[in-house]
Amino acid sequence: MRSFYAAMRGLLHAVLLGLLGAGIVHIAVLLLVPEFSERDAWSRLSMASDLYKMTRLDAEAGGAPVVKSVDPLFYATACRFDLGEGMVRVKAPGHVPFWSVSVYDRSGHNIYSFNDHTATGGVLDAVVLTPAQMIDVRKDLPEDLQGAIFVEAPIEEGIFVIRAFVPDSSWKPIVSRFFEQSSCELQDF
Amino acid sequence: MLKTAFLTLLSLAIAIVGGGGSVWYALKIQDGVGAIRIGQWTAFPDIGTPAADPYSKARVAREGVLALGRAEGLSFVAERDAAGAELKRECTYTIEGDFPTARFWTLYAADQSLGVVETGKPRLAALQSYGVVRQPDNSVIISAGHHPMPGNWLLTDGFGRMYFVLTFYDTPIASSTGLSDVSLPHIVKVGCNA
Repeated sequence: MRSFYAAMRGLLHAVLLGLLGAGIVHIAVLLLVPEFSERDAWSRLSMASDLYKMTRLDAEAGGAPVVKSVDPLFYATACRFDLGEGMVRVKAPGHVPFWSVSVYDRSGHNIYSFNDHTATGGVLDAVVLTPAQMIDVRKDLPEDLQGAIFVEAPIEEGIFVIRAFVPDSSWKPIVSRFFEQSSCELQDF
Repeated sequence: MLKTAFLTLLSLAIAIVGGGGSVWYALKIQDGVGAIRIGQWTAFPDIGTPAADPYSKARVAREGVLALGRAEGLSFVAERDAAGAELKRECTYTIEGDFPTARFWTLYAADQSLGVVETGKPRLAALQSYGVVRQPDNSVIISAGHHPMPGNWLLTDGFGRMYFVLTFYDTPIASSTGLSDVSLPHIVKVGCNA
């Protein structure tokens, strides 16, 4: 009888220890998921295309959507950039009913966002740069950057996403053309 | 000796399975840490920002989400109707009420992964605010179901669980201070084709 109690106590001890361990594992796994995920937006985009390449995110352009949960009434396009190589300029001439832009860091956190009401004349022309590059640019602002929106981001690698509203099917070609004309390139300075 | 080994293994098994499983479960359920509930609708205003909690960050990394920014809009997801029952694709619902201030909004019927439901027809299972008929008091009544209905018809199709995703674009409610006194439309079940 005594040995039975001893065994039960051992078992209870082991289970309690296990539950405590489960708590530690829970926290450890939770904090490690963002570090080791191979399914995050950056990894998916890098499988689909190169740096400074506009890539459609919605399924409309053919194939499965690169990044999920895009509003079905929206088209979206993205390009990856590395501010370590220099500042990046994104332009999209043309007018659509609504566009909005988000800049994400390497792990998919939204750093900055704005929409067409922010831009001069509703035309998308933006430059993403680090605070250090901003100081250089401020000293001598080039003529063709006068109307651009400057996004100061304390990051190196990042993702630039443009979303545009497609109210109905008749707008599809117009919005598609808006994205085809968009560019994402390293800006010399 | 054998008993010690068995107890050690048991502890380790509980720790690893319990710890891993609880993270997986926490990331799977729609409702979670950092959620804001208004009626039947749930939103995660902090998701995808550097200020998000660890659960939101893990969800963003695992699902490859690029969340809408504050200047873009805010999404609400509903998984239950006003009576508390899960939304079903085979049922007909009425979505009725006031919509908060925004430049425009979109509403779509979604499957488990929050992608739009496949209808197999040219008509999308989605509506937007520029294309709806309004009541004299500016409120909107939307009927969601398999068969065409007068007024605003949101096409759905198939069987199984369904979600409604309501997104407001360029809206002041995306800044979290405005979220407390926002009222969103009600979802009422009309009937089901068994």
